[in-house]
Amino acid sequence: MSGHTRMQTVSSAPPATPASSVFADLREMVAEQFEYREVLRQMTLRDLTLRYKQTVMGFGWAVLMPLVNTAVFSVIFTRVAPLDVGMPYPLYAFCGLLAWNFFASALRFSVTSLTSNQILVSKIYFPREIFPISAVLVALVDFAVAMLPLVALMLYYKVPVGAPLAMLPVVVLVHVVFTTAIGLLLAMGNLFYRDVKYLFEVAITMWMFATSVLYPVQRVGGRMGALLGLNPMTGIIDAYRSVLLLNAWPSPTLAAAALVSALLLAVAWFAFHRSEFAFAEHL
Amino acid sequence: MASPSVIVEHVWKKFRRGERHDTLRDLVPSLMRRAFRPRPASLRPEEFWALRDLSFTVSPGEALGVIGPNGAGKSTLLKMLSRILRPTTGRMVLKGRVGSLIEVAAAFHPDLTGRENVYLQGAIMGMRRAEIARKFDDIVAFSGIEEFIDTPVKRYSSGMNARLGFSIAAHLDPDVLLVDEVLSVGDAGFQQQCVERMRQLIARGTPIVFVSHNLPAVLQLCTRVMVVDHGTVLFDGEPAAGVAEYRRVPWARKAAAVEHETRDIRIGRVQLLDEQHEDAAVFAASSRLTVRIGYEARRPIRGHFAVDIYSADGVYCAGINSRMDRRDFGVLEGAGVVDLAFPRLALLPGCYVISVGILDANGLGPLDVQHRAYPFSVASDERDLGVVHLERAWRHESYASVAAGASAAGGLE
Repeated sequence: MSGHTRMQTVSSAPPATPASSVFADLREMVAEQFEYREVLRQMTLRDLTLRYKQTVMGFGWAVLMPLVNTAVFSVIFTRVAPLDVGMPYPLYAFCGLLAWNFFASALRFSVTSLTSNQILVSKIYFPREIFPISAVLVALVDFAVAMLPLVALMLYYKVPVGAPLAMLPVVVLVHVVFTTAIGLLLAMGNLFYRDVKYLFEVAITMWMFATSVLYPVQRVGGRMGALLGLNPMTGIIDAYRSVLLLNAWPSPTLAAAALVSALLLAVAWFAFHRSEFAFAEHL
Repeated sequence: MASPSVIVEHVWKKFRRGERHDTLRDLVPSLMRRAFRPRPASLRPEEFWALRDLSFTVSPGEALGVIGPNGAGKSTLLKMLSRILRPTTGRMVLKGRVGSLIEVAAAFHPDLTGRENVYLQGAIMGMRRAEIARKFDDIVAFSGIEEFIDTPVKRYSSGMNARLGFSIAAHLDPDVLLVDEVLSVGDAGFQQQCVERMRQLIARGTPIVFVSHNLPAVLQLCTRVMVVDHGTVLFDGEPAAGVAEYRRVPWARKAAAVEHETRDIRIGRVQLLDEQHEDAAVFAASSRLTVRIGYEARRPIRGHFAVDIYSADGVYCAGINSRMDRRDFGVLEGAGVVDLAFPRLALLPGCYVISVGILDANGLGPLDVQHRAYPFSVASDERDLGVVHLERAWRHESYASVAAGASAAGGLE
């Protein structure tokens, strides 16, 4: 039976405890993702449904934006300042913008994914990784839809495709891993410091011009060129062009990008998981 | 008794008071600290312990009521049990699926339909899609909003929202249930539904942790009560005694005093006394109960005293006031006490709660009131049903021949 009044001796401070083991945390992270997979599914579905309901064009926006940008930059880089990229410029630009758009819009959703779901974060428990991860998945669906006009462009320019196309899933995987890693860091950063959201807008624009989206940054050369060479997004976007447009195997820079992405994801996810329990206190 | 479903061992929780002045410059170092350093046990000046060394267990079949003043740490405890917050140190184990009647509609998105929200909220509560699909019709039927299930939730009234959310939570079949003041939302019918559902789960042996200020509800539902103050357990045991303990602790009066500082007269100490004029929480049926109401008048004033008795499930059993009893205490000055004695308490066994008030000279406007602040229970082996014990006498008289004649007459017509 439960007892009666219990006299508790209250000490003034608890014993110090060591941080839980890294291994236990990793196991918890993976187990939780499995346990809560239905939540990830439903959250992703929610955001897709909402976009479809709230906007007239729905997924059309995912296609329109890169098309408009391609048209604009095609005029600039074929008429105003002609640029030789080794393939029809619209193909080069559209492929780059498509891949970049996935990255940028996934991150844009991720940054505010925790702060715009305040009620859920502060009142109900499920792994908070689900917010930025579902943001990435929603953008991935847009990415898939926007692939359709690329296929049309490829048919129009009669681009030959062959065995290297089999590497496309690997390229997408590396891209998703890298995006998720950055998304986790940004979502967490914006929760603790709301400046991150504004800083992000500035950074993402600069980052685009530092990546081979509209022109090959490899041509920059010198010390700045070496610095730009460290940008994993260039390796990823060039890999898309290799397998889709050049019928060539991705260059070793993709392997480097893959390694960086995997390491970054491990660190980002671990840091995210460890600070998860401070989220509700911070909102 | 089965092994505990909820185990809380030496749990401490640290919070920071005041505003944070974090800058972006601190971001990286603080994240690294958070991620890799052991959790510090020491307290910085702006920090305080919201919970200190809390330990308890809840076993199947137990319904634990957690009561205490605002800021005692009740909500913090509940948030930790539902895993929103993590203890600074200590261990917390909940076995099986944890259901909560907290924020039952929190995941609802206004632009999604009721149907879509059921799947979303259901998943967040821990249900598989197949399980939600199987229970979907029951959930909708229970909520009573079948007609509107394909309407966006933004067109729902708050009551419909709560009904649908509660209905999902009610179909979760949890191994442990957490409840936070759920009885304060929704209309009376909905509240009754909540209570019924909790009763069912208790009857089934599901352990429950119920955090509430609603003392009658706690008395009605809980098999055990824990009084928490300043993050520590003051009492853990039998409900009526726990509620009595809660009442005895000085903060209840302190809080009231702050609120009523400006009143001309205010209720001071209120005691429930037994035949020996001792403070008591449990009274034998038909014994003497005296309600002793202390008062403190800031200026001479005329006033009347009122006492209301409610049963734990909210039935208004008796309303008594000195004006209706044509009792005049004259002008009240300084401090004093008024005793209201019930020589033979005619209440049946159960839990009750008393409201105390001081009314103005006309017996109308309240000068100071303490609603449902003083609980007590009545114990006996009485078999009556209801709330009152009525003095009675049975008599039997037989009219056998007349009755037969009447029946015969009826048959002839």
